[in-house]
Amino acid sequence: MNQPPVDDLADAPAEDRLAAAIAGIAGQDPARSAVVTAAGSSGRCSVDYATLAAAVSRLEERLDAVRPVGVVARATRVESLLVIAAACGRQHVPVAFLAEDSRDLVGELRDWIELDDALEVPPAPASRPRREFDTVPPPVVVATSGTSGPPKLVEHSWDSLLAAARLAEQWHGLAWLLVYDATRWAGIQVWVQALLTGGRLVVPASRDPDAVARALVEERVAILPATPTLLRRLTASADRSLLAEVTLDRITLGGEAADAPLLEQARLVFPAARITQVYATTELGEVFRVADGRPGFPANWIGRALPGGVRLSMRRDGELLVQLSRDSAEVGTGDLVERRGDRYEFTGRRSDVIVVGGAKVLPGRVEEVLRSVPGVAEARVYGLPSGITGELVAAEVALADSLPEGCTADGVRGAALAACRSVLEPHAVPRILDIVRRIATTAAGKTPRRPTLSPHP
Amino acid sequence: MSPQVEAAVTAAISAVLRDTGRGLRPIEPGMLLAADLGLDSLDLAQTIVLLERTLGCDPFRSASSTTPALRTVADLITIYSRTLGQP
Repeated sequence: MNQPPVDDLADAPAEDRLAAAIAGIAGQDPARSAVVTAAGSSGRCSVDYATLAAAVSRLEERLDAVRPVGVVARATRVESLLVIAAACGRQHVPVAFLAEDSRDLVGELRDWIELDDALEVPPAPASRPRREFDTVPPPVVVATSGTSGPPKLVEHSWDSLLAAARLAEQWHGLAWLLVYDATRWAGIQVWVQALLTGGRLVVPASRDPDAVARALVEERVAILPATPTLLRRLTASADRSLLAEVTLDRITLGGEAADAPLLEQARLVFPAARITQVYATTELGEVFRVADGRPGFPANWIGRALPGGVRLSMRRDGELLVQLSRDSAEVGTGDLVERRGDRYEFTGRRSDVIVVGGAKVLPGRVEEVLRSVPGVAEARVYGLPSGITGELVAAEVALADSLPEGCTADGVRGAALAACRSVLEPHAVPRILDIVRRIATTAAGKTPRRPTLSPHP
Repeated sequence: MSPQVEAAVTAAISAVLRDTGRGLRPIEPGMLLAADLGLDSLDLAQTIVLLERTLGCDPFRSASSTTPALRTVADLITIYSRTLGQP
């Protein structure tokens, strides 16, 4: 079995590794599939390592001739993004990935050239600044997801981008599903991981639960990195018989907190898959992993150094603070945690807290109650501005495909409100509860915390 | 008082009473929002969001000093009728 030259890779500078890995595998096993797009549909398209490696060398030559100040990756095809990243890294050209909602930020990258799927580097006019090959490694610029605030550009090093990649032999040659946006931190982590280990990146035709399930089955995907929101949609809404054929080894959850009911549901639907929860932020990168299948993290992790030197602590209001190493500063994460038995569990983002007449409401807690109601498949809770109480708790609920015996949509809605009234404080009970066909997700695959802009039914 | 606004206000208050588990009852313009119908500030905030959806406006969002007294169902109907230019 051909393996990527990982031993050599580890010695190479981080910014060279992606291009080196692609070339290495292309040399040993040129026809090996690197990227499959529109997986699980009739439009399926596979790109092998040799094709990818040739595209990287071509782009490297052009970049070396023009020496742009930086490259904004404008490509829409995943394989083009990989080629741009690999070529820019090895040519020491700064590269930026701008997701759909952060395109406005391109103004901050004046003088950078834009590369689309054609991968044509425009010839350099005399007026355009050049940036000679610099021995200092170039940055990788990524926009934050903007789930609860406007997106902003964050500069990363190649070292931090590659830091979380698992390179041990057990990770080689696997199929990875990409449900994340390929231009965001979480998505970039997935394709970097797949390529560095000679794996296959599988991109489903859409994020529709059935399309995701078909891609998992037809490509025999081994690893599914996803947000809890995307996993919940998949397990709650995808075709049962398709899900039964899925051969996942591992599910890696990140981006949001996973609650106990979701972890339980995932265990039932994918009994053979190990579930790992990754705690990472765009600013800090990966901070820690929890692999015991329970929500949150062990309570005794607070206040002492974890393997790797990370130190966790808590602000008085419950915000989790992270110190990556002894020499680095303590950073507020914006995530709220709460002690429950021998665990600390995530209760929500500080910025997502809804304030109703001065009292705080954590939307995640309300969503948990709504989802526990028979007939409810998905829920999202957000704050609506109110001239009287500041904000009002509002919720959207998507119903399960088959409702419990004798149940109507209106009946489920009434039961959901009654459940909230019986366990939540009065100000936390949703005052607006809409039944929707499907809960929207953000481009980052998370549950949006702001009112939608579209008119209500 | 516009009959269309009156119907919308009555429907919104009924929905609030139903959603909060208080059951339906006849609603008359002369009723006091707090004393007769038992509506608190959260109930009122909900009523206003529901009315924004049906009538397309929220007279309370711009807290102008000219907002008249709000004690009865009729007051609510008047405020919306004025905002909609349907005296």
